[in-house]
Amino acid sequence: MSDKQDEKLEMLLRSRRATPASPELAARIILKAQGIPQVRATSFWQWLRQLCAEYHLPKPAYVLASALILGLVIGFSTAGDITSPADTNPINIQGFLYADEGPL
Amino acid sequence: MAAANWPDKDDHELLTLIQDGSHHAFAELVKRHTERFYRLAYRYVQSKETAEDIVQDAFLKLWENPGTWQPERNNKFTTWFYRVVVNLCLDWQKKKRPVELPNEDIPLADEREPVDVAMIRLQEQRMLEKEIGALPERQRLALNLCFDEGLSNQEAAEVMGVNLKALQSLIMRAKITLKERMKAYL
Repeated sequence: MSDKQDEKLEMLLRSRRATPASPELAARIILKAQGIPQVRATSFWQWLRQLCAEYHLPKPAYVLASALILGLVIGFSTAGDITSPADTNPINIQGFLYADEGPL
Repeated sequence: MAAANWPDKDDHELLTLIQDGSHHAFAELVKRHTERFYRLAYRYVQSKETAEDIVQDAFLKLWENPGTWQPERNNKFTTWFYRVVVNLCLDWQKKKRPVELPNEDIPLADEREPVDVAMIRLQEQRMLEKEIGALPERQRLALNLCFDEGLSNQEAAEVMGVNLKALQSLIMRAKITLKERMKAYL
């Protein structure tokens, strides 16, 4: 096929005309939308965000709550370190208590 | 918000406002894009009334359920909405009859042309519309998106949900068929 045919076809394809839309089409769509309520599908995250917004607390409350949680976490994580292995052995404790009570 | 601000907003901003229920944003979006989506629908259904109904339907669905537009998933509004309109056209075609040639007169390319030249051009245009109408659906869509709507090949491929090579192949096959069938006019 010749280049001339290609060019002519391209020209024809680019010069295609469509019957124009009614000038009031956009206005008609806008007007119809006025009477249609929107459906709002909320995702889980949107719902969570709305919930947070509803129960909005002042900043100091967040700071206090965070400090409390942090305190609890630190407390629980260090609780094991305070007790020494000796404390857990009752025999050792008894030995200590009766150490001075030997026969005179 | 001042009315003068609406045209300055991009599609993404307007859609965010539409999701908050803004009729002004919706009006701006409709005014901005109605014509181009109408053109695409018209190419498909070849009827002014049906094309207008399809575009109206597409916009009203967007208004009714603005959550269908998800900016994180759809990069460009027009690309996404072209797909919405094409799907509505396909639904219409499945339900209704095959596409017929337009019953309205195709406007002449240039009204200042001499009558005989204009008549030949009109004849060519009619023939071209007929042959394009006879092309397989995907080839026709590829041609319409690239030549009518002036989309880049990449954008057209995105609308059609195919890769770039597949789109180029569709266009090439469509052109070969048209050249063959339009021999007398080329």
